[in-house]
Amino acid sequence: MSFIPGLGIARGMALTLRRFFEPKATIRYPEVKADIPPKFRGRLQLLYDEYGTLKCETCFQCAQACPIECIDMGGMDTKGRFHVHWGAAETYGERREESALRRSGRPVPDPAYDHFEGIDVAAVDEILTGFDHDPAHLLPILEATQAHYGYLPVGALKRISQATGAWYAQIYGTASFYGHLRFEPPSGAGEAAGGGRADDSAYLAGLGAALAGRPGGEA
Amino acid sequence: MSDAAILATPKQWPSILLPRPALADPTDLDAATAAGAFSALRMAIRDLGPTSTIATIGASGLRGRGGAGYPAADKWRAASDTPAAHRVVVANGYGADPSASTDAVLLTRNPYAVIEGLAIAAFAIGADEAIIAVRADAVATIRVLEATLAAAQEGGFVGLDAFGPGRHLDVSIRTVQGAYLLGEETILLKALEGKRGQPEQRPPHPATRGLRGLPTVVHNVQTLAAMPWILKNGSEAFAKIGAAECPGTILVQVRGPESSGVAEVPLGTKLREIAGLSGAMPAGRSLKAVLVGGPSGGILPPDELDVAYTFDGLRAAGAHIGSGSVIVADDRACIVDLARVLTRFCADEACGKTIPCRIGTRRLSEIGDRLAGGTSRAGDLDLLTDLAADIVGSALCDHERLTTLPLVSGMRYFRAELDDHIERSSCPAGVCHPIAMAASATH
Ligand SMILES: Cc1cc2nc3c(=O)[nH]c(=O)nc-3n(C[C@H](O)[C@H](O)[C@H](O)COP(=O)(O)O)c2cc1C
Ligand code: SF4
Ligand code: FES
Repeated sequence: MSFIPGLGIARGMALTLRRFFEPKATIRYPEVKADIPPKFRGRLQLLYDEYGTLKCETCFQCAQACPIECIDMGGMDTKGRFHVHWGAAETYGERREESALRRSGRPVPDPAYDHFEGIDVAAVDEILTGFDHDPAHLLPILEATQAHYGYLPVGALKRISQATGAWYAQIYGTASFYGHLRFEPPSGAGEAAGGGRADDSAYLAGLGAALAGRPGGEA
Repeated sequence: MSDAAILATPKQWPSILLPRPALADPTDLDAATAAGAFSALRMAIRDLGPTSTIATIGASGLRGRGGAGYPAADKWRAASDTPAAHRVVVANGYGADPSASTDAVLLTRNPYAVIEGLAIAAFAIGADEAIIAVRADAVATIRVLEATLAAAQEGGFVGLDAFGPGRHLDVSIRTVQGAYLLGEETILLKALEGKRGQPEQRPPHPATRGLRGLPTVVHNVQTLAAMPWILKNGSEAFAKIGAAECPGTILVQVRGPESSGVAEVPLGTKLREIAGLSGAMPAGRSLKAVLVGGPSGGILPPDELDVAYTFDGLRAAGAHIGSGSVIVADDRACIVDLARVLTRFCADEACGKTIPCRIGTRRLSEIGDRLAGGTSRAGDLDLLTDLAADIVGSALCDHERLTTLPLVSGMRYFRAELDDHIERSSCPAGVCHPIAMAASATH
């Protein structure tokens, strides 16, 4: 609509400059609610607490909720249980590109990517058939898978995701909550042998020590 | 020390949950029916009908034994008033507290009472599906349940046409494991649906929207086991037992310095008397505190032990019934260390869904670590008070609220001992590690 070349840009820059020098305002949320466009979602950022540990619990709630799958988690959860899937992901900038790339169907180049061992998925398929490929039976499916492989290999989780239609994030989010499910082969020592939760035994030991006046309740 | 031992109780105390004398073979259906098992269910189906069954349970004043003490009949009304094609009853036999085996003892010693109560509840609310949820590692309990459920199905008490022609009750045993929080009802339902175990906002309560969106009544196994007795003996007889505002009996796990076991006690019994069931103090030892309610329990001093063991009485004293665990601590125990261990466990088990859960409980546990470690900062106790109030005010599920109890009750009743840790860097019981070391180094 403009006949003077560059006027649009000049106008835009003028607005930018004006905004740049305007005093910054703190909006006293929640008393005052800012007027923001309905699709605005803020900046995606993982925060650190004052000890420098990532606050994210890798609970996958955000990955499950994100409608366009731009969020996917990587890193280590607070119980040290997560192994990186697409490389260390401390910022979301690259992750969004990766995710877009992934959705395009092309492989994600990741220098830190460690190939997971291929597995024979016949056993998973058999388990899935036994449970009607129904994600409502996810826990028994995961338990049976672990009973077969000794742990939950990534390949098996992917297969379950493919076959049941449940998202990988949902499956991982579920599996990582339950203490008896593991993502690595058992190390041998340290695994609670036969029944009983390791956390429970540690608690009972701590309680016993505190009651008997013995130092050493520390796990 | 066998946790599952039955402690001797006064003869005049009624036995509703645990038969006295114990059944020779709790899985023997013929012996059980000869002793009256499933007659209450038959009475409910033939004579009472759903409405009068709910009314009878309502009049008895039965409150849930899972910890919160919610009136059972209110849950039933909510579920049966919700229009739905199917309804579900879940027996919560998870027994989350690692130091209590009350529910396992009930399930192995009186399994038919639980199954019958489950069927009565299902009949009353019009449910056609019932689930008994137990810990996957409770092998003995599962074996008993499988045998008894099969027998009850064979006998036609549950299963096809259980409530009359065409009215089925499908009962299944589901094993869950892997987290302390699975005892909480909304989390248990998540696990049964194959989801991550995080609680849901209430309302809607499970009674109106629970498993797979269906109205779902979740009861502790003790609540269910009391139901046949109430129908058989009448609601007045039940209402006369125990405390007026919460009648009936409950199972407690009493752990003393030398022995531990389960006992059935009337609600309203003085805490002192319950603590005494574990036997006298060993020679030369004195009672220092009683931890009531399990990992998130309150720590009460000797002069608070006259409190009545009721839902409301204990809450007022800063503890709760919780898992039914009553742990007697003698003078060797350090209250600060005890509170630290408890808070740490609760914080570790918190699910991480909300901020009070994820960060609040962690900060709480750090305060405990600082107190016990001799590194507490000025204002830590004020911070503790504030933080606890914030967590209680903003928590999503009860776990976070209850996680505040060990430290808050410790601060309320054992302030002098806390002050010793904070101001003098000394642990009177000689337990807390860095401080004890420092004290012995200066000798
Ligand atoms: C952290 C937490 C753990 C719980 N653990 C158990 C448990 O192990 N067994 C149980 O029956 N109820 C447990 N509950 C209580 C349940 O949420 C629920 O209130 C109960 O199963 C309802 O049964 P009731 O109506 O018979 O009390 C727990 C609650 C919380 C907050
Ligand atoms: S994974 Fe969970 S804790 Fe981490 S950012 Fe997403 S919602 Fe937050
Ligand atoms: S334990 Fe996480 S919300 Fe209650």
